[in-house]
Amino acid sequence: MIPWFNRIPAQRSLLSALVPAVLLLALSCFLSLLYGAGAVGPLEAFKALFNQGSADAYFVVSELRLPRTLVGLFVGISLGVAGALMQAVARNPLAEPGLLGVSAGSTFAVALALVLGASAATLTVSVAQIGALVGCFCVITAARMQGQNRDPIRLVLAGAALSSLLVALTSLLLLYDERAADEIRFWVTGSVAGRGLEQLYAVIPSMIIAALATLYVSRPLASLALGEKVAIGLGHNPGRIRLIVIVCVALLVGAAVAVAGPVAFIGLVVPFAARALVGPDIRRTLWLCLPIGPIVVINADTLSRLVAQPAEMPLGVLTAIVGAPVLLAIVRARRLPTL
Amino acid sequence: MMNTKTHSLENMPPQPQLEGHTTLPLGGESQLLLEHRALRRNAILLAMLALSSIAFLGMGSMVLSPLQVIQALLGQGSELNQFIIQHLRLERLLAAIFTGAAFSLAGCLMQTLARNRLATPGIIGIDNAAMAFAVSSIVSTGISLAPSAMALAGAATATALAFGLAGSSGTRGYRFIVAGIGIGAIAGALTQLMLSQVDIDTANAAYPWTVGSLSARSSSMVYALGIGLLISLIACLIWARRFALLPFSDQVITGLGEQIKKIRVAALSLSVLLTGLAVAVAGPVGLVALVGPELARAMSGYRGIPLIGSAIAGAFIMVVADLVGRTLLSPIELPVGIVTSIVGAPYLIWILVRRSPRN
Repeated sequence: MIPWFNRIPAQRSLLSALVPAVLLLALSCFLSLLYGAGAVGPLEAFKALFNQGSADAYFVVSELRLPRTLVGLFVGISLGVAGALMQAVARNPLAEPGLLGVSAGSTFAVALALVLGASAATLTVSVAQIGALVGCFCVITAARMQGQNRDPIRLVLAGAALSSLLVALTSLLLLYDERAADEIRFWVTGSVAGRGLEQLYAVIPSMIIAALATLYVSRPLASLALGEKVAIGLGHNPGRIRLIVIVCVALLVGAAVAVAGPVAFIGLVVPFAARALVGPDIRRTLWLCLPIGPIVVINADTLSRLVAQPAEMPLGVLTAIVGAPVLLAIVRARRLPTL
Repeated sequence: MMNTKTHSLENMPPQPQLEGHTTLPLGGESQLLLEHRALRRNAILLAMLALSSIAFLGMGSMVLSPLQVIQALLGQGSELNQFIIQHLRLERLLAAIFTGAAFSLAGCLMQTLARNRLATPGIIGIDNAAMAFAVSSIVSTGISLAPSAMALAGAATATALAFGLAGSSGTRGYRFIVAGIGIGAIAGALTQLMLSQVDIDTANAAYPWTVGSLSARSSSMVYALGIGLLISLIACLIWARRFALLPFSDQVITGLGEQIKKIRVAALSLSVLLTGLAVAVAGPVGLVALVGPELARAMSGYRGIPLIGSAIAGAFIMVVADLVGRTLLSPIELPVGIVTSIVGAPYLIWILVRRSPRN
């Protein structure tokens, strides 16, 4: 009997990877409630969790750290799943919403809305999602325009160029309007600090739509991985699958960006880890992305609180430092895996 | 393009005159080989640069006519005009010309070296790493090296990392470039981290510089860049003939009696030197390195390696971009990096998604 971790990823049962991942996620959530940048130490926080600590500790844990952990959970799930979907539909292991300019698209849309007079509190989710949708379409069109001789890395370059264009346009808008600059500054580096539960409630409807659509599309998407002709032969419509996936990605990334700002590299790291554990089948990868995404985000957030005490480090910085080596690892593989 | 070639005049039969070329005796046994087409192109580019420079000096919160600009430059005209031109705008113009020329020349060398039009220092992360190192020397008191020196160190580190991580594939192919994108992302994140650690005033002061701007330059760094640029231009002139061999295969270069490694190291170190110094002045305005050589090539069709042409074209682009950034939304000043991104990024996308890429 070969132990589960010695088997080829595709032979492992999904549960054997999913159960440890979920346990790890629970542990991460627990740790993120215990540790923080403030004066409330792990022991006090532990007591407060069981309603026994001081009132201060109880307030810090339940009002500050708990929402933050929940937001991290949500952001991790959306970015991880969006990354997996995007990689499946672009058939490119380097496709990542942050790298490809989808997050930059929603940032730009939010900045535009703010400049046009909206207030940061109300509009952002749907606006960010529309921006993400536009960015998504641009990049997928670029990917498809490359036709037969497509090279995974060219897409990343095109995405980097689109990102830098959108970032430049965003800076342009913000220079133009100081009020918008002031409102947007706090989330443009990507962070889950100080987010409240009400922001989370605002994105729940789109999460439900995205989840249902993902469930519906995962099987056709798996057949699309075998090639366009196979998918057509199995009775699926590749154009429609792609459209649904793009809308899903836009909903997820837009929601995540609206809540936490553009956090790069999560969509690259999470599906990479999931594929390494359970193989390339998108249906299995997606399930595993659900716990792995939050594990990465929550741990990165906890670390970002601890590294630079008593100040905090932006979450986006930490994910870039973690994610860029993964990008290098994928590229350094002798043969670029195609999806 | 100007090339020097040494050969003994007595022992050789008179050389047939190359069509479209002129040879100028330089005294002794040296001759200067001038290609007419390259001369024409560089003359046109220089004229464009001169015109844009006059516009650059004339435009601003106080608009001066071209005549007034030239008078003020020559030390005539009213005192006020002389002060504005010579003390306020001239240094910025020099900074724009130097950084544009340096970025563009570095880009042209790197493109030739990697045989890939996309391999410019900005895209493979050298800019960002140089910026991260320079910011570290600005924000922290612990490191006492000058920002220029730190930027050079950063540029060299990033180049070494990109080559090391690309492994056996060398500079060929896109693996090298994506390794560079990763390095650039890490360096960008580190810059943000350092800026988030310092007090808000320092961070605000450093912000325009991190997107690429000429407003926060220091004159000592501009002079350092000028000296580096001069050295690099002379080196390029001397080595132009050897750099022109880089697009050929290794066997051809060896067959012609040149040492490939030496040429590559020379091109790479010049590129790193120029990028590091230019980043220390203006921050990462890397897309100039992509567009400048393209403009120089477009002026005369692709023939040879337009090193000098790239430098002039880059200077021209930078001057125009900064002029646009200063005047378009005045009184708000757009950092020049934003202007070049808005122009350069769509161009880069276009190169990437065209159906039949040339390289």
